[in-house]
Amino acid sequence: MVSNETEEKAITTNELLANYSDSVQNGLDNGSKYLQAFHTLSETTDGQSLLSAAVSLTNFKLNSDFVTFPHQFSDEDVQLIFFERLLSLSGIENNFRISNPQRVQKLLCKFDSLGDQTFTFTKSTKNSDGFFFGPTLNNRPLFYLNLKNKELMFHGASLIEYFVVDLEGLEIDAIKNALELLTKAAAILKENFGFKIDFNVLDGVNGEFYQFAAGALSEDVMDELFVKSAENHFVLMAEDNGGASLTLGNGTKMTVYDANQNGNRPKWGATIRDDQQNENWLYLLLDYPFIKKWYLNNQKQLEILSNQFIFG
Amino acid sequence: MERQMETDQFSQNDTILSSALNEKMQYLNDLNDSVKNGDDLQIYQLMDPNRYANELATEETEKSQTDHFGLASDLTAQLSHHLSNKLIDYLGATYPFFYYHEYELGKFHIYFGNWWDHRMFGELDPINVRFNFDDNAYQMLSKSFQLEAENRRVNDDTMQKLGDENERITKLISEQDQRDKRKEEIREQLKENQEKSPMPWEAGKVKEERQRLNDEMLKLTQIDEEATGGRSTIKENENKILALSKEETILSLEKQNIRATFGSFDAFIENNNNLYTKYLQSLSKESQVSDGE
Repeated sequence: MVSNETEEKAITTNELLANYSDSVQNGLDNGSKYLQAFHTLSETTDGQSLLSAAVSLTNFKLNSDFVTFPHQFSDEDVQLIFFERLLSLSGIENNFRISNPQRVQKLLCKFDSLGDQTFTFTKSTKNSDGFFFGPTLNNRPLFYLNLKNKELMFHGASLIEYFVVDLEGLEIDAIKNALELLTKAAAILKENFGFKIDFNVLDGVNGEFYQFAAGALSEDVMDELFVKSAENHFVLMAEDNGGASLTLGNGTKMTVYDANQNGNRPKWGATIRDDQQNENWLYLLLDYPFIKKWYLNNQKQLEILSNQFIFG
Repeated sequence: MERQMETDQFSQNDTILSSALNEKMQYLNDLNDSVKNGDDLQIYQLMDPNRYANELATEETEKSQTDHFGLASDLTAQLSHHLSNKLIDYLGATYPFFYYHEYELGKFHIYFGNWWDHRMFGELDPINVRFNFDDNAYQMLSKSFQLEAENRRVNDDTMQKLGDENERITKLISEQDQRDKRKEEIREQLKENQEKSPMPWEAGKVKEERQRLNDEMLKLTQIDEEATGGRSTIKENENKILALSKEETILSLEKQNIRATFGSFDAFIENNNNLYTKYLQSLSKESQVSDGE
């Protein structure tokens, strides 16, 4: 070490000053680049610019050896600002707002319909571009957002834990309002930005297969659904495919069956059909308390699978 | 002379034979035509002319008719299959809650309802237009109707017993802390008891006390053991209760369906007993309608 230092070429005072001023200039340039992107993030009315500003601000190294900025928004904040602005540009922001804009560094948001509950983004430990959105209290990952890879994935089990179990007692319409906002945002990302979306339990498209974690379902589980349905004046009917179906209100039909009946690895799950293609697995649990009870009683088997790599 | 007489006596044999054979051929021809023409009413008449005459009370004379069905009786399975088509259509309207599965040519299982885990309820006999209900399934339904009049259900007692048992075990489990505390006390008391050096006249009393404490300890340990295995017993009982609830759900759906169609179980039985007549009358009405066209 010592010998290395002595061998280092001595520099002149002028060079030293020039180096210093270059370094400060670079730091300032870097800062103004950041600021420019930040302006875009907060002010642009163009969706694509908004997205690219958010991407460039994520994992942005703002501080340098010569210039540091004491007040900075975190990467999580950038995601939240993007999300809030996306909603407002799309005209669907009523019910959603950032709840503590006066406090820089850990922005939170709220759904008006859900009262005091606050939410925030948390960076994934596996991927620095990926963020989980969830309630501040218990951090259930409701969905995963990766703006750089253009991905948004909902996490079925957490959504159910939060919206069906934790928020039990809240008005169902209030819960649905918040969920509708999330699915709308995801739909906009899909249609306007080409995002890959996994709607999971929020997918209302007819025939969407909600796959149960257990693979094979024990007969008890179906028997229990049969008994509970009858107690609520619905009859669980046998289907030709070896499964069973329930015709519920408003022409909504739920079918539970093994999608891999001819193979040797059972793959049980459920589909929902309704005229409006509005009902999804989570709404079904909210709308029919006996199905919710059935689901929660047998949660180990009935849990809906989500992307296991990202949420695992 | 004798011989001559004999010849005379049987001189008409061939004529009789020929006529009998003709009658049989005619019978088979008629049967064949009825099959080809889809005239099931005629088939029923040919298969069992006496029952037909009795139950449909036609104007024809009451004298017993020759039954040639023996000629075609080896074709019962095929005939049964043929007859089932129209019969099941008819039953579809009159017994909308029954479903059939032809598990072998001309043989049909009856299923009650098409709900989850519907019961196999017996067999359909298209030749005799009859339900052959499964004894167990039928008896259970019949009992369920009976008990219903008293506002009871077939499995109520068993379910109640299992429920009570679970409540008892749950209590045992929740009282673990109390038992542990009591066991600690007993241990203390036993220790005290052992440290006593009683006067001879008190020795019996001390021994008695020790025995009492040991007995209580043993009893508490036994309860502990039951509580330890309690969770799996509770789960087993819950499964039993579920199975019984399922049975009740099925019975209740069966009763609902019978009532919706027939009004009562008695009316259902009555209709079953007259199924042959009712069905053939319906076939006869149908053929009159089509004749009239």
